[in-house]
Amino acid sequence: MSKVKTHKIIGARSTRLSIIFFLFFILLSMQFDPYNQSQLANIATLLIAVLSITILTGASGQISLGQGAIMAVGGYGSALLVTRLGMSMWLAFILAIFISALFGLFLGLAAARLSGPYLAGTTLVMALAIPSIAVRFESFFSGDIGLSVDYGYPPNWLTNLIGEISIEEWSLYVALPFAALALFAVLNLSNSRSGRTWRAVRDNEVSAALAGINIARTKVIAFVCASALAGLAGAIYGFRGLVAPTVYPTDLSLTLLTAAVIGGLRSIGGAIFGTFVIVFLPDLIGKLTKNWAIPESISNYLPALIIGLLLLLTVILNPRGSAGALEHIRHARQSRKH
Amino acid sequence: MDSFLTAFFSGTSQGAIYALVSLGLVLVWRGAGVVNFAQMGQAMFTTYIASQLIQNNYSYWSAFVIALISGAILGAIVDLGLMRPLTSRKNSQLLNSQSMRTTIPVIASLGILGVLKSLAGIFWAGEERGFPTPVPANSIKIGSTNLAITGFDLFVIGVVFITLVLTTIFFTKTGMGLAMRASALNPEVTRLSGIKVGSVRTLGWAISGTASSLAGLLITPKTNLSPNTLDLLLIVGFTAAVVGGLTSLAGSVLGGFIVGYVIAFVNVYGAPENVFIAILVFLLLALFIRPQGILGSKEVRRV
Repeated sequence: MSKVKTHKIIGARSTRLSIIFFLFFILLSMQFDPYNQSQLANIATLLIAVLSITILTGASGQISLGQGAIMAVGGYGSALLVTRLGMSMWLAFILAIFISALFGLFLGLAAARLSGPYLAGTTLVMALAIPSIAVRFESFFSGDIGLSVDYGYPPNWLTNLIGEISIEEWSLYVALPFAALALFAVLNLSNSRSGRTWRAVRDNEVSAALAGINIARTKVIAFVCASALAGLAGAIYGFRGLVAPTVYPTDLSLTLLTAAVIGGLRSIGGAIFGTFVIVFLPDLIGKLTKNWAIPESISNYLPALIIGLLLLLTVILNPRGSAGALEHIRHARQSRKH
Repeated sequence: MDSFLTAFFSGTSQGAIYALVSLGLVLVWRGAGVVNFAQMGQAMFTTYIASQLIQNNYSYWSAFVIALISGAILGAIVDLGLMRPLTSRKNSQLLNSQSMRTTIPVIASLGILGVLKSLAGIFWAGEERGFPTPVPANSIKIGSTNLAITGFDLFVIGVVFITLVLTTIFFTKTGMGLAMRASALNPEVTRLSGIKVGSVRTLGWAISGTASSLAGLLITPKTNLSPNTLDLLLIVGFTAAVVGGLTSLAGSVLGGFIVGYVIAFVNVYGAPENVFIAILVFLLLALFIRPQGILGSKEVRRV
């Protein structure tokens, strides 16, 4: 954050990067079998939620252990709109953004009074409580059974254009445009005035206040933006098949935070890398354990163990994550040249 | 009247356990400025150790003592191996940021929680198992009427009461307790008066580990033991600590009992599925009405 770039042409760089991201995923999916294509769709979906942590914790310095619960708000919001009102999926996704942003507004108003561990604990309680609301008001949210929703079939114009596609490819094509848009939004946000105010408040509240920044409002805006992203992610995540309390467990919130930390809390590229790690590492470990004939009682817990150790190592060795480590190496190389 | 007594007695015995958890959280928060989200993960691990010993035909009491000792050791390891190097590092750009100094230890403790859970899953296959009680867990009878309290409930209340008395004596009558209070209040001045603040802090982590390990031993006969069972207890303990005041040891105990009664009455008069929502509402109310907690002091609150 040493030099602040302001872009005269709004979003020229962010547009370019989002398009590159989009094309990269399309190219990658062409190399993959159906299972990995659906994993790629998962990455695109979860990336939106991880980006919400990049904004909330990385840029504005507020920790949330309850992003999974906000995903549940978006998921239930869109699923109810589709199943009860017969709304189209795309419209429901857009409305899910607004529903969860509104939820984030209330949450942010409460959270602006809290910081550090208070905020962490309160959002963790929320992560447990929100899914249980669905069980409590069973007739409305249909309880533990959940609401069945899916992406449906690809529209005719698309199949005419690129030929027949599998369900897995279609799920990727649903999630990917939203992921690219989210990436575009976050890239612009972090270079905008709000992004700079967030960082000012994060680094020193007193000096930010002296510079005329309204601390509480800044924190609430960050919460609203992050919740909008997480809600969108939750909606797309739920439409893989089911919106139920078990789809948005507490572990989901912690996994998202892990992805953001491993990649680098303050880096958008890090968020992408971290999401790849949490989705593909368990598969990779699964393959290795099968080759080495490790008993199931161990291999079941191995991914969680290795991801936990990765998180610890990141925090101890380099709290800025892999993105921070890369930057560190680059700096070292440059100073050697001079 | 019957359901009132049921709620009251279960609130007392559960509240006593919550008080232990919240006491453990407050001890570490006062000493190190960290809310240890791995605390009940440590307790789960030591309870598994006790369970393993009992399966290998050790007596309940030797397993009990070994679990408490390993709780203390685990707490000290977490501090020495992770938290102390983390908080003493000054040159990192990320840690220079005000908000990140409190956030990074929280993330680290979540990492420990994940590692402990998966280790427990690997060592003990992760299936749910029961945990024995040292005294029969039947309702106590006076004449022919069943009281709504079991022998084990009385045992829990007794053990927690003894622990709290010992803790109070430790903090008010011994030099080490005085040093702990001093270094929580003002580490710099305490260091200047010749007390090793780092070691005192590690002792705080060890005591906290013992307290939560005890809480794990006392709650698992009712909840059964699996890598995830104690997660709820952490949430409840955190709520109790916030309600009582994160900076006050007496407040944390008080908060534990209050939350215990709230949960017991919601369980008896409402429905069990309301408990999570009740905890969230109660926590938010407490934060809005009295953010420093019932006995916490506003000045000391490190927020």
